Amino acid sequence: MKKYFNIARLSLKERLTYRGDFLLSSFLRFLPMITSILLWKSVYGSSEQESLSGFSFKQVIAYLLLVNISRMFSSMPGLATNLARDVREGSIKKYLLQPIDLIGYLMSYRVAHKAAYISTSLVPYMILFGSCASFFDTFPTPVGCVYFFMSLILAFVIGFYFEVCLGMLSFWILEVTSLLYVVTTLSFFLSGHLIPLDLLDTTGWLDVLKNLPFAYLAYFPAAIFLQKVSDEELLLRFFIGALWAFFFFLLSRVILYFGLRKYSAYGA
Amino acid sequence: MLRHLRLMFCFAKFSLLGELAFRSNFLLKILVEMIWLGILLTFFKTIFGKSSSVAGWNEHEFLFFVGAYYALEGFVETFFLENCVEFSELVRSGNLDFCLLKPIDPQFFITLRRVDWSTAPKILLGFIMIGFAMFEIGKPLELWKIPVFLILFLCGCSLAYSFLLFLTALSVWMIRNQSLMEVWWLFTNLMRYPRQIYDSEWALPIRMVFGFIIPALLAVSIPVEFAVKEINIQFTSFLFVIAVVYFFISRIFFNYSLKHYRSASS
Repeated sequence: MKKYFNIARLSLKERLTYRGDFLLSSFLRFLPMITSILLWKSVYGSSEQESLSGFSFKQVIAYLLLVNISRMFSSMPGLATNLARDVREGSIKKYLLQPIDLIGYLMSYRVAHKAAYISTSLVPYMILFGSCASFFDTFPTPVGCVYFFMSLILAFVIGFYFEVCLGMLSFWILEVTSLLYVVTTLSFFLSGHLIPLDLLDTTGWLDVLKNLPFAYLAYFPAAIFLQKVSDEELLLRFFIGALWAFFFFLLSRVILYFGLRKYSAYGA
Repeated sequence: MLRHLRLMFCFAKFSLLGELAFRSNFLLKILVEMIWLGILLTFFKTIFGKSSSVAGWNEHEFLFFVGAYYALEGFVETFFLENCVEFSELVRSGNLDFCLLKPIDPQFFITLRRVDWSTAPKILLGFIMIGFAMFEIGKPLELWKIPVFLILFLCGCSLAYSFLLFLTALSVWMIRNQSLMEVWWLFTNLMRYPRQIYDSEWALPIRMVFGFIIPALLAVSIPVEFAVKEINIQFTSFLFVIAVVYFFISRIFFNYSLKHYRSASS
């Protein structure tokens, strides 16, 4: 356990080396929120309706703010691409030669990465949420907050193992970058990052979209916070989410097992 | 000029050959662009499924706008974006030396040396959307307006390029410039919707800053307004002048930044 703690500590230090760039990019990520607020203001203004698909104007904005928190936990920038590169260039054997579990190492590294990201983003996020407090009409109960936190952890676990599975496909497919682009692009939309999934009710795909693993990466935590998930539905949603997490965990282990049998350390 | 055109042709040819060496990868990249378009149109349809107009733009006018934005973004991504993003890596690794030693204008070589063919279909698709929107509006674009619209569209592209060049030049000092993409994304975010959505009172500072000082709000809005709404002579001429001014200022800044390049790591 100590070695994984040390990996996390060193990764944290590495991550904070370029903190100026890091802080600037965290801050800039929020500015498009203003555009979203203004766009939705125009949409609600023109529609002359208080609520669209069960979401008021304030709730849509609150949702779009909250998905930033969800993605803070679920997005795994560079994980799959770096893993694919290590496999392609043969440098993955540096992990295999050491008494260390590859996926365990990646998990420690990612936890540190997230800890650095969350701690550095804390101030800009507090400013953002503080200035947008008027969009939050209701606040979840203490139990609701626990559910919200649990959904964020679920988002992290699903996001992590999903990306690991994608990255390890490079044992068979040499160049996975484009495949990753396809999946990332689809995930951006299907996870509800762009728009609350409920607003897509006219497509007739809402039930399917809510049960896909992508929904757990952005939509689900935000919907819990806004109390858009009923108590009866909550347990079912957590159960389906846990199944997805377990599925990707198992899949990553299976891919690693068979991938290493295929791996020839070519290019190292 | 002719030499530069010949070189551009060579860059485009070699980039295409490079892409075709990995055909499936190339096709997947095009597929990503198609998915993005699908997302953009779904988003657009969802909004107009709930509301008849947005900031005074009806569905067909808005589709024209989306087409113009998509084509402009495609233009910048095809010719400049990848090259500009790679610039910080050239600075960090010291490989910029090899670019500067070439007997050619550094800005031309650095920002145009590779053409991203996978995003080129966006330009075509954007113009197809414009054509479709025009058909839906039911009022064909007058003949004299077409060249003016195209000139204004190129002014918008030039404005976007100048801004990208500013950001690229900053890499010389920042070394690691991951924020470049974030700032560029912010810039495209401002271009993505009609400037009228910023008409709220509290959005006045944004309208002033991004409408006049860093005029991202005008890059797509003005050419499209010229085509489908009433012609605003002041804004139309302003876009033309500011595009030329920004092009030269960004060029001066880029050359200034190159003078501060320390050639470390080489």
